[in-house]
This record gives sequence, C-alpha cells and structure tokens, in this order.
Amino acid sequence: MKSIRRCQHIITIFLLIFIAGMAALVIKINREAPFYMMNSDHHELGMVYDRNGEVLFDGQGTGQYPDNYFLDVGNLIGDDKGQMENTLVARNIKKLNNYSFSEGLLETGGQAAIYTTLDHYANRAVYDAYAGARGCTVAYNYKTGEILVCASVPSVDVTKGYADIANFESGTLISKAMYGTVPGSTQKVSTVITAMESLGRDRLLAKSYNCVGRYLNANGDYIDCHNVLGHGTLNLQQAVENSCNPYFAQLVSDPDLPLENIIQGYRRMGYAVNDDKEEYFNIDGIICEKASTTLVDKNEFRTQWGCIGQGDTLVSPVQLMMWQSAVANGTGKMTMPHLIDRVFSVHGNITQIAKTKYGDKICSEETAQAVRQILLTNGSNNYSVSIAGYNVGVKSGTAQVKEGAEENSLLVGFLDDARHPIAFCILIENMYSTTVTTEQLATVLLNALCS
Amino acid sequence: MIKNPFAYLFSCLFVLAAHGTMLINIFYNGKYDDIKDLIILAAAVLGLDISYYIIMLFFKQYTYTIDFMLLLILNMSVIFQSCFGGVSFSAKHYITCIAALTACRFGHMLTCNHNWIQQQKKYVWIGIGVLMIIILIFTGSRSMWINIGSFSIQPSEFMKPLLVLACATSITEQQKKHKVWKFDIVWENIILFGITAAVCLFQWWCRDLGSIPTFAAIYAAGFFLRICYPKAKFSNKTLIIAGSVVLVAAIVGIKIAPEYVKDRLFVDIWSDKDGNGYQQSQALIAIADGGWFGKGPGKGYLHNVFAHESDIVFSSISEEWGLLYAIMMTLVILLIAASPLINPPRSYYHGTMCTGICAAFTVQMALNIFGSCNMIPFTGVTIPFISMGGSSMVTSGFMAGMLVAAQSPVFRKPKKKKSKKPANSSARRRSAA
Repeated sequence: MKSIRRCQHIITIFLLIFIAGMAALVIKINREAPFYMMNSDHHELGMVYDRNGEVLFDGQGTGQYPDNYFLDVGNLIGDDKGQMENTLVARNIKKLNNYSFSEGLLETGGQAAIYTTLDHYANRAVYDAYAGARGCTVAYNYKTGEILVCASVPSVDVTKGYADIANFESGTLISKAMYGTVPGSTQKVSTVITAMESLGRDRLLAKSYNCVGRYLNANGDYIDCHNVLGHGTLNLQQAVENSCNPYFAQLVSDPDLPLENIIQGYRRMGYAVNDDKEEYFNIDGIICEKASTTLVDKNEFRTQWGCIGQGDTLVSPVQLMMWQSAVANGTGKMTMPHLIDRVFSVHGNITQIAKTKYGDKICSEETAQAVRQILLTNGSNNYSVSIAGYNVGVKSGTAQVKEGAEENSLLVGFLDDARHPIAFCILIENMYSTTVTTEQLATVLLNALCS
Repeated sequence: MIKNPFAYLFSCLFVLAAHGTMLINIFYNGKYDDIKDLIILAAAVLGLDISYYIIMLFFKQYTYTIDFMLLLILNMSVIFQSCFGGVSFSAKHYITCIAALTACRFGHMLTCNHNWIQQQKKYVWIGIGVLMIIILIFTGSRSMWINIGSFSIQPSEFMKPLLVLACATSITEQQKKHKVWKFDIVWENIILFGITAAVCLFQWWCRDLGSIPTFAAIYAAGFFLRICYPKAKFSNKTLIIAGSVVLVAAIVGIKIAPEYVKDRLFVDIWSDKDGNGYQQSQALIAIADGGWFGKGPGKGYLHNVFAHESDIVFSSISEEWGLLYAIMMTLVILLIAASPLINPPRSYYHGTMCTGICAAFTVQMALNIFGSCNMIPFTGVTIPFISMGGSSMVTSGFMAGMLVAAQSPVFRKPKKKKSKKPANSSARRRSAA
C-alpha cells in the first residue's frame, strides 16, 4: 500500500504544480488583460481633460468641437492612431482603456479618464500668440510641478487625421519642449550656478572681467560679444544682464575655476558631459531629452563656447524650465514636472493622484538664492516694461542654429509671486523671420495664467 | 454488472445535462446561420452520450468514473471545435472522438492484466523501435507528420503510451540487480534510459521539440518510482544527481537548439506581434476579449489565426466561452488525471502507469496553455482530448483506457485447491480451539 501511496504522491505533485501554474495564469491575465486589449485592433478609449474639465482628447470621438479645437495640444496630448508615439495618450493608453476583464469592452458607460494639469485656455492663448512664428513654450508651477502650458508650434488637430501628412512641416508631430535645442545665453544660468558652487558666492561676485567686444583665448581663438564696442569691466550681475560672452569665456578659463569642477557641476545639473551616456527622463511616460555638452579644455574655444550656450550644447526647454524651479524655490532642488493630475478607472474610481516630486539637488540653497536674486534684478532692470506688471526673474538667450544660418530666441525665468509660482521657458525659432518676441509671449502666458 | 445503478444513472444524467446546457447556451448566445447546424451538433453529441452509456454496460468494471469524465470532455471538445467562428458540426473531430473512445476500450483491455502485459513487454519495445523506424523513413528531418491522402498521422504521439508501458512493465526488474565492478546495475534501467534518450533524439531530429518535455516527464515519473522500488526511500544523492543531469541537459539543449527554437524561446511577443509573437499575442488578446464569460459560442476572432483549434485552443475556448469555462474544461482533464487519487491503482505496475499518464497529461496541458499564454516558451503541443488532431486524440483515449485499467484491473484468478477431508475431525477441532 505504501508503494501505491508513493505513486499518488507523485501524481499529487504533478497536479499541484499544474494548478499553481493555472492560478498564476489567472492572476497574470487579470492584471495584464487591459494591456492585451490595448494591443488589439479593437478598443474603447476614455477622455483626457484639462485642469478645468475641458476636453483635450475624445477617445470615443462622439463629441462636437469647434474647428481646430485640439490644435494647440495635438502634439502633446496626441491620439491612438500611432503617428505620434511620444504623447500623453500614446504613452498612457492603458489608463484610458474602457475595458475590464469582468465586463469586457464598454462601448458606452466606461469612465476611464485622465485629468491633466494643463490649462487649455492659457495653452491656446500662447499657441495663438505665436502668430505664424515657430517654437514652443512650456510653463509649470514650480512649487507643485503641475505643467500648465506646453504649446509647440506648429501642431496638428488630431480630429482631422493624417491624410495630408506628407505636407506637414518638420516638427509638427513632436512637442519641441521635450527635445534638445541650443540654449543660447540661457545656458549662462547653468554656468553661473556651476561657478558659484565651485568658487563660492562672495568670491564669484567679487570677480570682474573686461570686455572689449571680443575675447582672445589662450589657444588664439576669439569669442565675440554681441556688443562689438565692448561692455568694459563687468561684475557677475552686469555680465548676466548684458549677456556678455567675453565675461563668461574669461570666467571659464579662470585658473580659480578648475575644469573638473565645471564638469562635476554640469553633471549634477543633469548634463551628459563629453562621452557620458545620453539619458532621458519622463513626464508621465512622455520621454524628455536630457542636456548634453562638450567640456574638454577650458582654454579651448569649443568648451568656452559650450558654457556660453552655443556649439555642441543641447538642452530641452523643459529642463531649462526645471532649473528655474531650483532657483525660484531657493532650495537648489528641481521640482519634477507632471502632466497627469489624476486618473479614473473604467468604473470611475480614482486610480492615480499626482504627487509633487523633487529631483536631485543641483546646487546649494545659498547658490540658488543668489542666482534667484541675480535673475530678479535682471528682470526688474531690463524687463519691467516688456513684461509689464510682473515681478519676474529672467534670462534671455540667442542661439545660433543651422551652423549660424538662423538664430533662435529664448527666454527662461520665473514669476516671483506666491499665488502664481510659475517657471517658464519660451523658444522662438528663426527669430528674425517674425516680429513676435519672447517677452510678448511671456506676457501672454502670464496674463492667461494669472487672470 | 453495475453495483450501483442509481449512481450510474445519475452520472449519465449529469453528463447529458452538462452537454445540454452547453447546447442551450449556443442556442441563445451562439452564432449560427441555420438552426439545422445546431440540431445536427446536438444530435451528434447527445447521440454519442446515450450510445456510450449503453456500450459501457457491456464492460465489467469496478468503477466508471473515468469513462463518464472522458465522455464529458470529449463531447465538450466536439462542441467547442464545432463552434469556432460560427456553429458548424466538426465531423472530423467527432470521428476522432469516437476513435478516442474506442482506443480507451482497447487501452483498458490491453493493460488491465498486469501479468499478461508484463510478459508482452518486448513487444512494447519493438513497438517503440518500429515507430522510430517509421519516423526515420517517412517523416523526414523537418516534419513530424506522415500524410496519407487527406489524413495526417503523427507517429511520435503513439510513442507516449508505449513509453508509459515500457516504464510500468519494467518496474519489477528493479529487484534484479547485477554487481558490475562496484555498482549495482539494473539492465532494464539502462535499456529504458537508452529508449527514452533515443525517443528524445528522434523528436529533435524531426523537429517535434515540444514533445520532448512530455517524454522526459513520463520517464522521470517512472524513474523516481523505480529507484525507490520495492521498499527504499527516495535517495537525496540520486535525486541531486538526476536533477543536475536534467539541468545540464536543458542548458545544453538550449545552447544547441536551432535558431527558430531560440527565436521562440526568447521572443518578446509584443515587440514582434506580427512575427514570431503573432500567435501568442493574438491568443492573449482573445482571452482578454473573452473575459470571464466569453463573447459567445462562434463569436470569436481567433479562428482566423493558424492552429486556433490545436496549439492555441485554450485561448479560442476562452474567447468564445470565457476563461471560467476554459478553466472548468481543464479541471475535467485534471480530474481524469487525478482519478488514481480517488480510486487507488490496484498494483505498483498500475500505479506506475497512472503516474506516467498523469505526467504526460499535465505536462502537455502546461506546455500548451502556459506556452500559448507566454508564461513559458511556446512549443505547439496539443491539449489531450481538446485539441484537434487524430493521433493526439487516439493516444489520449488509449491512455485514459490505461487509467481505467488501473482502477478496474483483472487479476489472475486463484486456483481452487481440492479440499481434503480431515482424517481426525476431533483433533482438528482441538487444533482450532
């Protein structure tokens, strides 16, 4: 009888292993079924709303909307057609799935939805303010991380389809705020932070350099200033306000500022320096490129040019904006941006609520507060008329692109207002092809968000 | 003939009710163009049920549990297979089900007498050898099928019950150990290992790699039962050595596997869902689409995918009938495999046979279901009694018959001794006292 029982034991083991496998299968299918359905040709999607409940994406396609209603958010919110992969809908399609394993696909009555932090009204206002110009504007609450505006021009109204895709302008199907661009002199904020971290606040403020319109570096290369007559002797505040290239070239080549410290400072801010592996961060699934630059020899033109924000240096507008949050908060910590405020399941239950997250510390509190003051002083001295009515800390930039054939205009900054803690980055491509200025866009942006 | 007629009648009604319920479900929720299709299916299913109830009465058995469950699952599979993509009676599958029931009776008759079958074990080995020669000559190195007109036969399927029998019939030889140098050798163990290795190599050669785990499981079950026969306990040392050999063999197998096998082993089905991952991704989508209760018989999409009725049949059933139904179907097969736990085998030979069959059934189900659902590499083996395929059905039926034999065996009748009249009846009375 014992030997028969031994047979039964082995049979039991086989059966138990199989039953355990079946249990794992049932759990796996229950958990992953929405994902499977999103890979099928047949699915029912929910809605995407802005912070005020305005529709940004209609998954069912049943609503009636004015012409070009979704144009300003087309390349950020996207759709499920597969033409744009780096968009909110494409990256979060599973959350919009009106499907449950027990009830199947819900053609009606499904309540899957994403509420975003975006302000459609402000986004539209900024988009329209480009008035034929190209570029992008991104703004967020630097206290909470809520992205309020993210307009990229040109864009596409997803309800009109892609039949005319061959005639779309380059950059139509991407949100330019997520991709690297030459930052121009807005890069000087990074260089100031790095230098101040290395030298200390007082030592850096005490340094002054002479500008005669151009600077001849140790290797015999010239760094030109936009003011051919030169700025004379400048301290840091004056250099920032005048965006003086020779000052920053001399600062980078200063023997008191070792190249290794600059490299470490840049890396702390998130740059991929030289051969570092290029990295990305994501905003609710949307991939955003991280900054990169080349710093080889502090007396070499390319390194100095990179620290001024030209040449090899690339930074995404979102990252430029995030650095502003570290400065505006005065903590040295970046507030991480997010686009999704809350997610509702197919049954209308909240499944995700946004939380404010902070990135690594890019500089000390002392440095952050000092840079904050420099930018605010720049704002009050130079932008109080062009961005009237707002106490902003800003830094402008002009970036040479297409090997100097075109120049882009940038403006990064923050609003010093406890009720409206807004950090922003504005980019206008080929600035001489339009009469629109970054200051005008900043005014439209702040008016829309603070009204 | 039947000890408990009420139990027999109740079982008959239960099976009829189960199939009737499925047919009613098709009537209300199924997709059919003409009600005649459903009537034909109903007549075939219920007719087979009733016919088999009558036929079973002619077979003397201790229990009919497996027969009823076999009938239940076979006609369930007829209903499933007739509904994929729309109700249309699957005559081909119906015929293979009848063949499976017939094979079950043969399996019972051939294996119920352990003395007789053990005397015939050389024919079992010859049978395996003949099948190998057939594979060698007729299937070729890139196929596992022999095509005869419109029929296809998979000879390797028939090796499964033969290997089970080879393991079971050699069990008593375990006692015949021979001292060779410092080792106790059982020649039949070495022969059996050789046979299993040869079978696996043949499977490799004819590209039926999916069956190798089934053969390995049958051999492993038999091996474990042999090494502890008749009284010894499992030896940890032996188990560790055996486990290590299996592990090394698996690693070497994966290393030298053909490219198409490696592609299947390591494919990310979702990034290659139009290529190597097509069947699995569609199978998973179908299960998700079906949910717990299914889209309705005949209303699925998966019938458009290759091997929907065999390799990914679990998903096809889940899509149309629901995951709950598919699990219940699996449960019926499990109950067949688990029947030796309820009605214990009557001898160690029968016990070894049951263990081998349970190993074959569970491993085949696991390879099919978990493979098609991307939990393990996709091998493309069949689910016993469910998947379309004559060779598989007949083999599975035969093995079910072996299970029946284990519970309703025929033992040699004891010879009656002539009673001698005691010489002294008073002395006998004293002795008894």
